[in-house]
Amino acid sequence: MAQTAAEKILSRVLGADVAAGDIVFPEPELITVHDWYVVNFAAALDELGVEELFAPEKMVLVTDHEPTAVSPQAAERQKQVREIAARFGIDNHFDVGRGGHGHVFPVELGFVRPGMFVAGYDTHVPNYGAVGALGIAMLTEISEVLACGSAWLRVPETVRIELTGRMAPGISIRDVAQRLIADFDADQIDYTVVEFAGPALADIDLDARFTLCNTPIDLGAKSALVEPDDAVLAYLSDRVEGDLNPAYSDDDALFRWRGGYDVNLLEPQVAAPPRPDNVVGVSEVAGTAVHHGFVGSCASSLLSDIRDTAAILANRVIHPRVRLFVTPGTQEIWRRAADEGLLQTLVDAGAILTAPGCGPCAGGRVAPLASGEVSINTGTRNDPGRLGPNDADIYLASPLTVAASAVAGEIVDPRELLAGD
Amino acid sequence: MADDFIYRGRCWHFDDNVAIDGDIMPLHFAIARETDPEVLRHHVMDGLDREFPSKVAPGDIIVAGKRFAQGNPHIQGLIGIAGLGLGLVVESIPRGSFRNAINCAVPILPACPGVAGEAAGGDELEVDFRAGTFRNLSRGIEIAYPPLNAALLTIIENGGWMPTLRKRLAGAA
Repeated sequence: MAQTAAEKILSRVLGADVAAGDIVFPEPELITVHDWYVVNFAAALDELGVEELFAPEKMVLVTDHEPTAVSPQAAERQKQVREIAARFGIDNHFDVGRGGHGHVFPVELGFVRPGMFVAGYDTHVPNYGAVGALGIAMLTEISEVLACGSAWLRVPETVRIELTGRMAPGISIRDVAQRLIADFDADQIDYTVVEFAGPALADIDLDARFTLCNTPIDLGAKSALVEPDDAVLAYLSDRVEGDLNPAYSDDDALFRWRGGYDVNLLEPQVAAPPRPDNVVGVSEVAGTAVHHGFVGSCASSLLSDIRDTAAILANRVIHPRVRLFVTPGTQEIWRRAADEGLLQTLVDAGAILTAPGCGPCAGGRVAPLASGEVSINTGTRNDPGRLGPNDADIYLASPLTVAASAVAGEIVDPRELLAGD
Repeated sequence: MADDFIYRGRCWHFDDNVAIDGDIMPLHFAIARETDPEVLRHHVMDGLDREFPSKVAPGDIIVAGKRFAQGNPHIQGLIGIAGLGLGLVVESIPRGSFRNAINCAVPILPACPGVAGEAAGGDELEVDFRAGTFRNLSRGIEIAYPPLNAALLTIIENGGWMPTLRKRLAGAA
């Protein structure tokens, strides 16, 4: 039977062939839970009288939404998380300063394999599709997964997008990822796995694949994944124990639809308020004064994002009106950025580094906006109130565009600055 | 038992893109994490028709177009609909709200293309949620739609996700 990659992954986990539309109870091979949701699941399990987890060895607890506790409540919550990890025998507890962003470091540390089924209590767990794993968010039902090993899941349909063309200088993967969810209709991808393939992937490295898998969820996709290639498999072979078992869709598998997408965009793309898919060319919003900038989040906190930021900021200073925060995704990314001298460039320009993790994107707990201010950043969402007050405007863009706008004090096309280098 | 899944009542008709927040339920109930159906049932469709909760009766059926309950999938709107004892027949529903409907034990036919054109507000309907049969008695028509999977019908029969989980835990003990 011809199958999509998602159907193959779930069939392997279940030990029986499944097809899109089936209702199944697959056991995730890795389960990630973040911050205070740990406290929530412990309370739910207490209410249910559950004293032991089904598979504590499959769990990874992370503190990434608020690693630097900025309130007494957060400090108390971190203490509770430590106690819960000990009580349930969860060895893989990545406390503050140990891992970083839970949608990134498990790949670096070899927890995530291609072809793996991962559940996580956070909407952006499809990030793991960067290495060809199937990451699916489980919210309320995560306590059922923890107690019983699984919860109901409808085997998703897949849409297959063949990427073609090349990104021009000054255009980066974030521009493509944003433009793409604006060009497709929510009905086309709702409840589907968005699978990326095609010749353009040769120029889209692992870092960029995180970004690519991050945005479809905000248009209603269930997950996303990129077909792993030799470069990704080589990266993982040093980090993952045992065999890599990537899953690839059969050519004659039944897709909801398949189509092509040219990554050769004419200009950088900006998501204007109030939704991530409200995307326009940068020229339409150029000149908008900004007060706040941020490079980071599960979408754009990889080493290549830090490199892009530093490329713009080298030998420049940030505009007096603007404060710019940079959050390297993980401890490893921070160290590698330091080794390359990138962090010094950022600091010299006047940027502020924050602890690895989600950064301001996690609801503006660190570095929020004030009423009436404007931010341009690489976060995942721009709903009113995402970074504090409802009357502050949030624009989403690539690290290049964010850094260039921070220098200019207003939204600009980063190619204007790159041209002068 | 099968009769539990046959609803006979009036049609309450809505168009495409009814939002979970604002249209179906005021957002402040989600922010307050209110989950009591006795509270929430009095505010269903608050953004579209404030009298809605006082006009409907258990067994009535909401018929809606595409992307019913779209938006950030807060569960409060579906808890309210469950509290009113209504069924749902929709052209489409985003996945978060679909899960919430099942988990709140709301009988639903989630994929009924064109159904919004097959009924108007006030029509007398009979819907068999187990079989997927939609009858508009006022118009004398019957349409077969894909029914829910048996596993999901079981969750609804059990009264939703939490009672089902308690049963599962009791079975494993």
